Amino acid sequence: MLVWSRSGRLVIWVIFALIFGVLFLAPLAVILLSSLADQWNGVLPNGLTTEHYADVAKGAAWNAVKASLVTGFAASALALVSGTWAALSLRLQGPALKRLLGLLFFIPSAVPSVSVGLGLLVAFSHPPLLLNGTIAIVMIAHFVLISAFTFGNVSAGLARLSPDFEQVASSLGARPAYRLRHVTLPLLAPYLVAAFGLSFALSMGELGATVMVYPPGWVTLPVSIFSLTDRGDIFAGAALTMILVAATLVLLLGLERITKRATGS
Amino acid sequence: MSAVAFTGPSVMDIDAAKIRGAGSNVHFDKVSVAYGAHVVLHPLTLDIAPGEILAMIGPSGSGKTTALRAVAGFVRPASGRIRIGATDVTDLPPYERGLGMVVQNYALFPHMRVEDNVAFGLRAQGANKALISERVKDALATVGMATFARRYPRELSGGQQQRVAIARALAVRPRVLLLDEPLSALDAQIRRNMVEEIARLHRSLPGLTILYVTHDQTEALTLADKIAIMRDGRVCSHGPTTELYRRPPNRFTAEFLGRANLLPVTVAEAAGPKGFATARHGDAVLTGAGRDEKAGDKSLLCIRPQHLSLTADSEHTNRIVGTLSEVHWQGELTHLVLDVDGTPVRVSATKLPVALPEPGAKVPLFFAPADTSLLPEDASV
Amino acid sequence: MSEALAIAAPTARKREPGRLWIVPPAALLALLFFYPLALIIRQAFLDDSGVANVAEIIRVLHSRFFVNALINTVTISVTATAGCLIVGLVLALILAFVPFPGSGFIARLIDTFIALPTFLVTLAFTFLYGSAGMLNSGLMEAFSLPLPPVDFLYSTWGVVLAEVTVYTPFILRPLLAAFSLVDRGQIEAASVLGARPFRIVRQIILPAAIPALIAGGSLCLLLTVNEFGIVLFIGAKGVITLPLLIYGKAIQESAYQVACIIAVVNIALSLGLFGLYRFAAGRLGV
Repeated sequence: MLVWSRSGRLVIWVIFALIFGVLFLAPLAVILLSSLADQWNGVLPNGLTTEHYADVAKGAAWNAVKASLVTGFAASALALVSGTWAALSLRLQGPALKRLLGLLFFIPSAVPSVSVGLGLLVAFSHPPLLLNGTIAIVMIAHFVLISAFTFGNVSAGLARLSPDFEQVASSLGARPAYRLRHVTLPLLAPYLVAAFGLSFALSMGELGATVMVYPPGWVTLPVSIFSLTDRGDIFAGAALTMILVAATLVLLLGLERITKRATGS
Repeated sequence: MSAVAFTGPSVMDIDAAKIRGAGSNVHFDKVSVAYGAHVVLHPLTLDIAPGEILAMIGPSGSGKTTALRAVAGFVRPASGRIRIGATDVTDLPPYERGLGMVVQNYALFPHMRVEDNVAFGLRAQGANKALISERVKDALATVGMATFARRYPRELSGGQQQRVAIARALAVRPRVLLLDEPLSALDAQIRRNMVEEIARLHRSLPGLTILYVTHDQTEALTLADKIAIMRDGRVCSHGPTTELYRRPPNRFTAEFLGRANLLPVTVAEAAGPKGFATARHGDAVLTGAGRDEKAGDKSLLCIRPQHLSLTADSEHTNRIVGTLSEVHWQGELTHLVLDVDGTPVRVSATKLPVALPEPGAKVPLFFAPADTSLLPEDASV
Repeated sequence: MSEALAIAAPTARKREPGRLWIVPPAALLALLFFYPLALIIRQAFLDDSGVANVAEIIRVLHSRFFVNALINTVTISVTATAGCLIVGLVLALILAFVPFPGSGFIARLIDTFIALPTFLVTLAFTFLYGSAGMLNSGLMEAFSLPLPPVDFLYSTWGVVLAEVTVYTPFILRPLLAAFSLVDRGQIEAASVLGARPFRIVRQIILPAAIPALIAGGSLCLLLTVNEFGIVLFIGAKGVITLPLLIYGKAIQESAYQVACIIAVVNIALSLGLFGLYRFAAGRLGV
């Protein structure tokens, strides 16, 4: 539209392909390739093998997948409940408190993840709140880091919801709880699913806070990938990364399908 | 919330005959609404009789929507009380007021089928299944949407969605139906049909009290038994529709309702026993329905564009002369604009003289005293 | 517009019990986030016996490792953000105004990078640009070089390039949203009047993009200051940023107070950038 000549457009598309190829496509392709590479001494691997996947499957991979999925699910579910709860009840506050609390609920997204982990270590290493060394502290770290995103997503959904829906529901005799259950939450559903999906994806890739707080025996995927590559086992690291990417994408696509079917669009 | 405080009608105990026989009146008792120091509704006292359609009209920001929302319970009055029937609803939450509401953008619940939308209020109030299905059928039949029960709102046109919205409000058998600019989102042709639909609907449910907020005077004139004209948070006039149109009490009403011509005059003779006063405009002596003007008062003579004629007639005993400035032919009607001593005067004529005068020509205008009224020259209202 | 006001205003009630509903989520966040945050600050300023420890703070703030990490953090963050802005703008312009078959799919593909772990890119770069990576092997084979000629990965440039890949989608997203609002008729009218593409970009498209660039840019600054995974995975000796330093001090050296002092500086920097982002986003309505 902007460039009318055919040659001009071709030049621009080549530039695009170069940037996209180098920055986005190449890393994804290379990770995939390296996870399947037999030996890699030249430009391309010498051969292809599924050996790395077999290796990680024999090793701690399934425990890592399990740890990541369980942590991601628990933290995202808690963040979804708490974020939705916060966004909904924030509407009942006066304007000044609403602004202040809205800001406070966002702040966890601004604090570096390593510092969140450090804070949890400092706060929960002594009785009565001794959580250091438990699985719970990993979930708490993930919850804190993703809570702002779920809160933000749900708040954005609420802001887009025309007040007419809830007001008409009220005028027809729906009490607040009935209205919440049958009008507000169903209308928010796409945002809730999106919030859950984003939280889950963020949790799956979380590294900074996890390395600070994880107990032995609860090694998430990113942490195991780091230990593999740190030991020089980069091919296995690549295989595990592919598993992480696949798990994340399957989850996101699945949630998207559910939303589409539910809203019928 | 104790059971005693629940004064809204439960779906169980109000039967159709009762609500069709007599709806509730709505009473505003010095109701004012303010946001901080900003007053959007000055103390309003107004009564809507059972079964009456009251149209509140006025420009945007005049407070009409605020008044409706105060009845619905979405805006809390700063002072005053609102009563529906015998119940003081001022402190009741919206869901205990027993109302039906229809808004401009329909607000049909997109995740529910038409029938579930219509059943919503009854389900929320815990009605039994048999009653719900009967009422849903009934309400959908009333608005002519029975065959669309299984559709989703997104599969309906704007006009159909608005019918469903009305059915949804009717299904709860509301004491009062609140219509907030219900037709503004529709295009002109469908709007005209829907006005007629609503009029028909009210004829079939004569007991239903309706508060109808609009900025469109045609809707108000077609539907309303009474009209309240709002301006700057106050009622500037309130009365039966025809009376308000024929004898507007003030300048704003005359101009807002039907764009009347207002000719500045000086009263020559106060109204006699038949109610006609005479007044002077320049050399012309004109007769019109008077109020309590005294001789010598400055006044405005109100004449509707369609009551001015270019041809003399035995009834049209009033005569003024103006300079023709514009002619707009619009098919069945021709709109003329004349300048009468500096006052623009609009004429809507169906009959025109064979030789139409050219712009710039002096043209006499004739009109009947019965179509004319005097109103106070008060710029503030 | 009093009626608009009435619609926007919430239902005002004098005694609103609903106000208390905010307490559970607020208490949860206070316990799990703000309480630990307060303890970090406490531990940074007071030693174990509860006495203010100014000397330690001054020692840390003047230490070489802290100053270097701070400089690294800021340099990397600013450079990477500049890179994201340029790359994001170019990609968004092409995707929005010179679209090609499949450009919608490509835009979504880039968008999914937001959901992927950041260290993925670093790992991929090892295979691409590492000393035994594809690029170096290719060049060594082609020109019979004895040593790998490309050696930027284990420097700040490696980190910057990885962060540009990871954070460009955060610029692209608001930019594409802003561009979708640009009136195509304006562009066509300008083209008909003989304006060249560069002129149209400068005079019509860029002004529309500035809010998105400012908001996206400040978000990028924040995220790059906080980035941990990329720097950890590159693992270059000379490239230590504040988050990496905190990790090293706390986990590897068990020097919690030093870690807390650095964390306070890092958090203050992040919150400042967060404030900038909120201000920009709020002001510009992004």
